[in-house]
Amino acid sequence: MENNAPETTTKNSMLKNTLLIAKFEIKKMLFNPRGLIALIAFALVWLLILLYPISGASSFLINPDFRGIIEGVFGPNTLSELFKWPVAELAVYWIAALYIFPLFSIFVSADQFATDKARGTFRFLSLRVGRDSLFFGRFIGHMALQCLLLALTVIATILLAITRDMSLLLPAISSGLIVTMNLMIVLLPYTALMAILSLYANSARQATIYAILVWAAMSISIAIINNYLPIISELKWALPGAQISLMINTQGLQTFMYAPVALIQAAVLLFLGKMYINRSAL
Amino acid sequence: MNLVNCKGLSKSYGDKKALNQVDITLHAGSPIALVGPNGAGKTTLFSLLCGYIAPSAGEVNLLGHKPGSPELLGRIASLPQDATLDPNLDVLTQLSFFATLQGYSDKNAKAEAMRVLNLVDLASSAKQKPSSLSHGMAKRVAIAQALMGTPELVLLDEPTAGLDPANAKKIRELVKSLSTNTTFIISSHNLDELEKLCDQVLYLEHGQLRQSVSMNESQHDDYITLTMQHCEPSALIEAVLNLADISSIEERQSNQFLIKHNSAEVYGIEIALLNLFKQRNWQYKALLKGRTLEEKLFS
Repeated sequence: MENNAPETTTKNSMLKNTLLIAKFEIKKMLFNPRGLIALIAFALVWLLILLYPISGASSFLINPDFRGIIEGVFGPNTLSELFKWPVAELAVYWIAALYIFPLFSIFVSADQFATDKARGTFRFLSLRVGRDSLFFGRFIGHMALQCLLLALTVIATILLAITRDMSLLLPAISSGLIVTMNLMIVLLPYTALMAILSLYANSARQATIYAILVWAAMSISIAIINNYLPIISELKWALPGAQISLMINTQGLQTFMYAPVALIQAAVLLFLGKMYINRSAL
Repeated sequence: MNLVNCKGLSKSYGDKKALNQVDITLHAGSPIALVGPNGAGKTTLFSLLCGYIAPSAGEVNLLGHKPGSPELLGRIASLPQDATLDPNLDVLTQLSFFATLQGYSDKNAKAEAMRVLNLVDLASSAKQKPSSLSHGMAKRVAIAQALMGTPELVLLDEPTAGLDPANAKKIRELVKSLSTNTTFIISSHNLDELEKLCDQVLYLEHGQLRQSVSMNESQHDDYITLTMQHCEPSALIEAVLNLADISSIEERQSNQFLIKHNSAEVYGIEIALLNLFKQRNWQYKALLKGRTLEEKLFS
């Protein structure tokens, strides 16, 4: 390695190392017994969700009487978009995934840094890669893994739909892509916030507890602020997942309406995380 | 270019000053020792040099760059105290990954990992997980990772602590054999070991640099350290004082004597001593030119 590496070389090796860290992170999670057990647990949970709520509820969704009941209970326009999904299975999957995946993300990405930092493993890495590469590499690795699992569940839902009606293949694929993209965007700020909490915590469990505290404290504070100072009620958008309840009643490309919220949140959180890792002791 | 340059380097943890205004300039070459009592700031200094922590005040430069700079990646390696590898992945996988981060291709990374494991005699444990290694083996793996890619500077924090004597000797030999291309900075409590390995010794105490001793200079000291098998100390002291050019003799430890002389011809004193032992039928254990490191630091 040259003493005074040109700027481009440094940047290239930073990008290369970021991707190497991301790749290793995926390998680490998929190809070791603990990772495999987590994966099997995840697959089983989703198998149950697919077999019962999704497969069962979609048959209700197609039924016009059920639509009448839902509109009667929640109001005519609250869940109206749900019935516009061309594939009923994906409509139910959409609701389930919007709530389950963020929760799953909190657990899966809680150990982006905590354990390695506590046992000093980063000390072996930080003399070989920059802290930025380490931070973004781990983040990308955890996002990639979640996207992989997300894609698998979407494919399983599509398969479920086409076993009912083969003609749904094309609309299912296009809706599936929209759902996957949307959920990936939804997960970005969750994973970014967990990266920061994981850097601060000494274990994955501690990071998860911090996450619960952060969400609870922020929700309560936002509710209080909304009550007393409605003028700054827009502060609610600062909390990752603030847009989820509104996303339920969207469909097709309309689902991307709230994507900027998650993207901005993720960008801010990643910037804060980058600053934090560069200032923290390893 | 200086290898290490510290100016007014300080690090505080709350009220406690772990390092206080340390100025150090080190040049590439023979291994450098860092000694000092527990809590003297040795590990803090190592952590600052590696960029694991940031200084509270002062400056530190390695090879002309600040610790953590992209220009230093892969050029500096360290055996950090108490750092362990991931217990879920085998040693070879982790070391190969480190090598890929240092720019090796996948195939060459494996070869480099095996090379360094061979250096510490642990090639046969390559497929083992760190959790199944003994403390000493884990330490040797940690030393192995520090030798990957032939870095310019290697910081070893207590490399032989917890190793059996045979392996400690192997590590010392390894450090000696690699010190032509790499400068080692070694922190240890084993002064005998440092004396054998290092040319320069830095002594830290209460977070301050108290002494910087050159082992080469000690060769020109007007001292001889004599260790006897067994003898009557008072008789030996009296007999030695009667020899020519002897200024003083003191018993420093049991059967170990420090002789100060004022002769430019050291061999004359040594020959006189050996003749004396022959006459009195005294058995000596060691005759050391100069003072031991322990004497230099603590007398």
